[in-house]
Amino acid sequence: MSGALASRSVASFVRAHRQGWERLGALSERASTSRLPLAEVEELDRLYRRAAADLALARSRFAGSDAEGYLSQLVASAYRALYRPRDRGAALLRLVREGMPGAVRRHLAALGLAGALFAAGLAGGALAVMLDPRAAVLLVPDPVRSAVAAGRMWTGHLLSAAPGISSAQLLHNNVTAAALAFGLGLTAGLGTALLLLLNGVLVGAVFAYAFRHAMTADLLGFVAAHGPLEISALLLAAQAGFVLAGALVDPGEWPRRNALQAAGRDAGPLLAAVVPALTLAALLEASVSPAQAFPALAKAAVGIGLALALWTWLLRRGRAA
Amino acid sequence: MDPRPELELETPERVAVSLELAGIGARALAWLADALCIFLVWVTVLVLYSISGDLFRDVQALSFAGQLLAVASVLLAGWGWDVAWETLGGGRTPGKRLAGIRVVRDDGGPPGLTESLVRNTLRAVELPLGYAPAILAVALGGRRQRLGDLVAGTLVVRQARFDLSRYDLSEPGAGQRFPQLRSRAQAALDAGGFERLGDFLRRRADIDPQARARVASRLALALAARAGVEAPRAEDAEAFLEALATWYAEGV
Repeated sequence: MSGALASRSVASFVRAHRQGWERLGALSERASTSRLPLAEVEELDRLYRRAAADLALARSRFAGSDAEGYLSQLVASAYRALYRPRDRGAALLRLVREGMPGAVRRHLAALGLAGALFAAGLAGGALAVMLDPRAAVLLVPDPVRSAVAAGRMWTGHLLSAAPGISSAQLLHNNVTAAALAFGLGLTAGLGTALLLLLNGVLVGAVFAYAFRHAMTADLLGFVAAHGPLEISALLLAAQAGFVLAGALVDPGEWPRRNALQAAGRDAGPLLAAVVPALTLAALLEASVSPAQAFPALAKAAVGIGLALALWTWLLRRGRAA
Repeated sequence: MDPRPELELETPERVAVSLELAGIGARALAWLADALCIFLVWVTVLVLYSISGDLFRDVQALSFAGQLLAVASVLLAGWGWDVAWETLGGGRTPGKRLAGIRVVRDDGGPPGLTESLVRNTLRAVELPLGYAPAILAVALGGRRQRLGDLVAGTLVVRQARFDLSRYDLSEPGAGQRFPQLRSRAQAALDAGGFERLGDFLRRRADIDPQARARVASRLALALAARAGVEAPRAEDAEAFLEALATWYAEGV
């Protein structure tokens, strides 16, 4: 301490303390990647307190100097090392066990809205194609129509591609859709709503089209394994989008900026639930769905069972039965 | 407006720390470097696949592990790249490391999984618009946050490299020619002045000789006046400056 007070110039101040600082820098660099032995943690703590005192001195006496900038960064990185979450595994477990179900249940209205919009699109698309077959020209994608006209399952071509690559592509598309459903929440929810409606209309129209051509069973056989999980993921992402939208439209007593940040803290766990759901759906879509070996019923049992398990976890965990 | 906006935070020990926020240039560089990395990963995977495609195909048609690998590589090489690096690497992707910046939470801590997911997923709305909203927000916003940062409560700060050897005594004997400066050096210089003077002395070999002499004599004149000593002759100006810097650095 006497060194710090006695040094009258920034240069002698730095020379007097540099060794300890550099040791602290090396320790906190190592602490951020691996576990330190107890003796070194104590050393880190001691050096951190000393560097914090040095920083306070540098701020008052050598403001704007490189020494102050260096110390600011050093103290910040040591602070990060000392106060980082103790165990990433435990944090992840807490996120799955408490974070995700909690976030879903805090925003049931947003989830309900997402579900209602998707269902409305579904009903609308199906109704349009059932009432007027010409609507299919608009609503059902070209490849689907030509495949049905040829009397085969349009998803048959997936079999010829290597499953690994197709699952990768499918995942990419689904992730993009989910990311948009979340991000478009920033358009006060309008974009998210539109995306849900359009997806609902598409699915509804395709199902109605297959029904008209007596291919419902084939279609179900293909989508039953991965469809429920995919739709669940989309709904969760849309729920997160509506949470953001809620903060923008009605921030309550907070400034919009802070309300948005609080919404972001709740949206994070929702997105964290979307990722495994989509990954699993993509794997199913590439392996189980196109396989002829599984009967349609088994595929449906797998798909619906997994989706049910997901929602039971999110909505019922921790409640008395 | 403050030309160099900073993140001010206070540790539990009540020490105020300020970190300089990263500007649009460094962040764009980091993004480009990451995009290049992802592109290279993709090219490598595709080349490997096309070389040994037929070999793989039969194996992959059955292998669940192969699919898992493919899915993992997509996550890592696309959407998951930033999330994985930011979560496990203390807020730094390879590109950010290159550009000397890192992501921190607004309390100074490293970003967690959820924060990283939120800030990177929101790229989905910024990317189709050519990142225009992000560029405007980072360039003009007071805290230099793009939409994703704003919602996730994160900031991007500069990780500057400081060279502490500038405070070393370069030539310990340089002060001897001007012993009268010894007691005056502290009055003539402060920390910032010492650093600028050091910059000049280190770089003078690269300066045009005429300009170098001009700057040296003007500096010597001004600093001599501050120190309250007689100004040196023009040819002694640099020796005078060296002596002043050395006496100041000795700090007595």
